[in-house]
Amino acid sequence: MEKDKIMIDYNHRQAGHCESGATSNLFNFYGIEMSEPMAFGIGNGLFFSYLPFLKLQYAPMMSFRNLPNVVFHRSMKYLGVDATVIKKFKDQKESMAALDRNLEKGIPTGMQVGVFNLTFFPPEYRMHYNMHNLVAFGKEGNDYWVSDTVMEFPQRISSEDLQRVRYAKGVFAPKGKMYWINSINKDLDIKSAVEKAIKKTVYEMLKVPFPLNGVKGIHWLAKDLKKWPKKHGNETASFYLGQIIRMSEDFGTGGAGFRYIYGAFLKETGEKFNNPDLMAASNLMGNAANRWREFTYLSARNCKNRSKPEEDYGKLSDMLHEIANMEKEVYVKLDKIKI
Amino acid sequence: MEKEANPVYKNQAYGQFRELFYSYDKDGKFEKRVGYHGEPDRVTLQQAWDLFNDRIEAARQKVKAGKASPILYYMEKTLVTPMDLSMHAGIIVWRIKRHLKPKVFNRLGEKTLKKYAEAFNITIDQLKNVD
Repeated sequence: MEKDKIMIDYNHRQAGHCESGATSNLFNFYGIEMSEPMAFGIGNGLFFSYLPFLKLQYAPMMSFRNLPNVVFHRSMKYLGVDATVIKKFKDQKESMAALDRNLEKGIPTGMQVGVFNLTFFPPEYRMHYNMHNLVAFGKEGNDYWVSDTVMEFPQRISSEDLQRVRYAKGVFAPKGKMYWINSINKDLDIKSAVEKAIKKTVYEMLKVPFPLNGVKGIHWLAKDLKKWPKKHGNETASFYLGQIIRMSEDFGTGGAGFRYIYGAFLKETGEKFNNPDLMAASNLMGNAANRWREFTYLSARNCKNRSKPEEDYGKLSDMLHEIANMEKEVYVKLDKIKI
Repeated sequence: MEKEANPVYKNQAYGQFRELFYSYDKDGKFEKRVGYHGEPDRVTLQQAWDLFNDRIEAARQKVKAGKASPILYYMEKTLVTPMDLSMHAGIIVWRIKRHLKPKVFNRLGEKTLKKYAEAFNITIDQLKNVD
């Protein structure tokens, strides 16, 4: 058999966020220049939700990003690109065969995977986190070449390992989900896509009638944060506080819970369509992101000295309220913008 | 296009791999830079793993003292709750909780043990013996 080695000429570029990075790389593969922030913005990556009743690794769950696969799906929908998403495969072998068929046709294929058994990931990051994304672009013998945009270089992973991570279990189990682009129209209507995407993001951050989502969610988290030391003791409170930092800084976010990437998206669109309002919004977003980063620096002190907090939790909570108000200002501004 | 094989990340200090970060400066510019994680990220990762390692060690002691079955140890080692394990192994939660008792665990049949072993990605021998 001559088909031992397949290698698609796919350009791996490192990115801050796994899914928007994969999406922007896929666009580039089909000859459309699209930066990561652009893919992130059009795909509605930005989000906030706080789910205290769900525990992730012994601490309340919160998310700074949207649900898995939203970035790819929405950017394809808004731009009107012909793409395929297969949500799940019942048969694990069939899912691998489908991947092989795609590679033989020369289609780089994205997949949702779990991080815990991902062999090339640094061990300390291997927690049960099922919203990671890879793009497979080659096969050599039993190994696959995958582009994980969080890593600097393309990686190799054996077939068995890939199958295991594609069928990781738990919250948001990937179930072998895969996605790819079929064909792309060269002149995409980016303007209307951006308009729709911003509208949707504003809706999700401000107008969803549920108190734990969006700006309201940040306020709720701030309220809870104040109560943690009394309710759970200093140790646990600092561990929970650490969870906020881990979610906003550690897991491939590009910093400050994706706020920087979204700011960069607003700036890029502002320059593209020559819109001063978008530029102003991007500056506000940048300031909010910087405030997030200050918050993580201050609260990390409490995580260092776990039993004796250096910073007052009340102060940190006020800071979060302030951040929520700063973000609200951005979304209110964006709501009125006409591109 | 250069395609490098994976660098091996083993036994490194926390946060020692290069990621892409964005930042925003006073002139209103968003910049990208590739670099290592900052102090807060490392501190919180360290904190999380300290807690996990404590829990793993406590579970090991418990199993050695005969107060819990090896399932508890492997559960802590793979960072899962009974709820998650129930999804991994396909065994309902209250049965898993019951199997945490050594007395019940010792009576388990091959079939159930195999389910657990597959969920933890180990052999049945390893499942029975905690080193």
